[in-house]
Amino acid sequence: MPIYEQTYRRHEARGPLRRVRFWPITREALRLILARRAFLILLMFSWLPFVIRVIQIYVITRFPEVSRILPVDGRLFGDFLGWQALFAMFITIFAGAGLVAGDLRTGAILVYLSRPLTRRDYVLGKLAVLLLLNLFITLVPGLVLYLLALGLAPDQFWKWSLAWIGPAVVVDSLVISAVISVIALAISSLSRSARVAGIGFFGLLMGLEITRKTLYAIYGRPETALVSPLGALYSVGVALFDLADRALTLPWLYAAAVIALLSAACLLILRSRVRAVEIVQ
Amino acid sequence: MDGMAETPLVEFRDLAVSYGPIEALAGVSGAFLPGPTGLLGPNGAGKTTLLKTLLGFLDPDRGMINAFGLDPTKEPLGVRRRIGYMPEVDCHLPGMTAAAFVAFAGELSGMPRDEAISRAHEVLYYVGLGEARYRTVDTYSTGMKQRVKLAQALVHDPDLLLLDEPTNGLDPAGRDEMLALIRDVSERRQMSLILCSHLLRDVEQVCENVIVFNQGRVAASGRIADLTGPRRAVYDVRVKGDATAFLTDLKDHGCEWREGEDGYRVTMSDGAGPELIFRTAREAGVQVRFLRPGAETLEDVFLRALGHEAES
Repeated sequence: MPIYEQTYRRHEARGPLRRVRFWPITREALRLILARRAFLILLMFSWLPFVIRVIQIYVITRFPEVSRILPVDGRLFGDFLGWQALFAMFITIFAGAGLVAGDLRTGAILVYLSRPLTRRDYVLGKLAVLLLLNLFITLVPGLVLYLLALGLAPDQFWKWSLAWIGPAVVVDSLVISAVISVIALAISSLSRSARVAGIGFFGLLMGLEITRKTLYAIYGRPETALVSPLGALYSVGVALFDLADRALTLPWLYAAAVIALLSAACLLILRSRVRAVEIVQ
Repeated sequence: MDGMAETPLVEFRDLAVSYGPIEALAGVSGAFLPGPTGLLGPNGAGKTTLLKTLLGFLDPDRGMINAFGLDPTKEPLGVRRRIGYMPEVDCHLPGMTAAAFVAFAGELSGMPRDEAISRAHEVLYYVGLGEARYRTVDTYSTGMKQRVKLAQALVHDPDLLLLDEPTNGLDPAGRDEMLALIRDVSERRQMSLILCSHLLRDVEQVCENVIVFNQGRVAASGRIADLTGPRRAVYDVRVKGDATAFLTDLKDHGCEWREGEDGYRVTMSDGAGPELIFRTAREAGVQVRFLRPGAETLEDVFLRALGHEAES
């Protein structure tokens, strides 16, 4: 039977548009990413520090003298989230490098933007993918760890003076996840190759961090953290969890300004790159 | 057609669009009526720019464009909701099966998930990919990718289908099948469409109306039948001897000619027949070695329109 003899019926129903129009983008991207076994292994591996911290809290409750070596206050959570930021970086390379680059390479960007979606919907949909994955390895284990700490070591944690830990975990997780996600997405939009975008993202973060450490070694000044996004994130963590001597780290307000400027720059890159029409001058 | 049916779906007036210093559309005006309309022109003529402006991707420098009574620059979502767009370039999501891809496209157009999935299967059967719908699109041949592009444009049952070079990269059999499918969408399913192509034969097979673009301007527009008819007599002619005087004389008699594959294709002046060719050849001192009547194709009309455009 010729193909044009086959059935086609008109589709009459046309309801109102969804309020959250970006959700199908996020859902489908997550489905494709989570179908990769290597990624699932990486995701599970990124919960390893959580297990170690649970053991740490358990050991402290059994052997209180250990708490002299290992911190049992907010620093425990700050250190934990510091490690999770590294995992977030690797998760983001794996999941985020091709998020926009792949669409630019295959022309799928037109499939999205020729629909009743705005460019903002597209960016939000892609950003939500990375945010959800990063929050899954920062916020979720962070809060679970806090609840476990309250349950396992109420003597250390069930007090008003440490009630700020919960909100601090939320804020630090959100900041880490949002900054890493938006940087990755911006870099992904600058290339048509996921591999190039992944290398670019890793190279940028690591390169700037090495620069920061080198400058710090030479000048010994906390302002060197201004050059590195990871340094700025660390400074925020220090302020939230009292991780180190604050005099030796960048004031959190400066760190927040660096993060805000960087995020704004990334959003501007996305605004110029996520287009249905590529204008070559 | 009654008066209601002739209300244009899309209208544009004095529409100018630039890419930086390059003016892609230089104040064009026209309208797309319900039914199939061809958008013809060589590469770089401004066809795709018009489609992209219609979709709200580009902001005009001046002029107006209106689709279904909506301004795409102000209400792009309302316009895109009623349009199905099949881009010229390859487009698919890596790792996705055709069924998932088309259902996803339906969801992006605002369809509920369950409805989009069921509709995706129907549409994939319709375009002839029913058996291959669970294969990832990455593994498809060029022809299959073109069909899946058509399926994603059809899934939400748009009021207007924009087809940008839909037969690109297809072999002759694949091209015929694709055109048959497009004709079916238009004729039997009563869907309006704009077929953007530089292949005149494709447009001629599917469309009633045509707008010819050249260098960012409308070179000709109207019903193909009106533009081409009454078609003038056309002859393929081969002569022996110096053809310069012969061709000049033909032009003086109101005929037009262009070089063909083997000789000349002569479009006669109104009412003139082959005797004019023989007479002119005799006067110019050349021998007519071959004369075959032909029909004026859309290609002839197109080239004539572009020629007049260039002259003006």
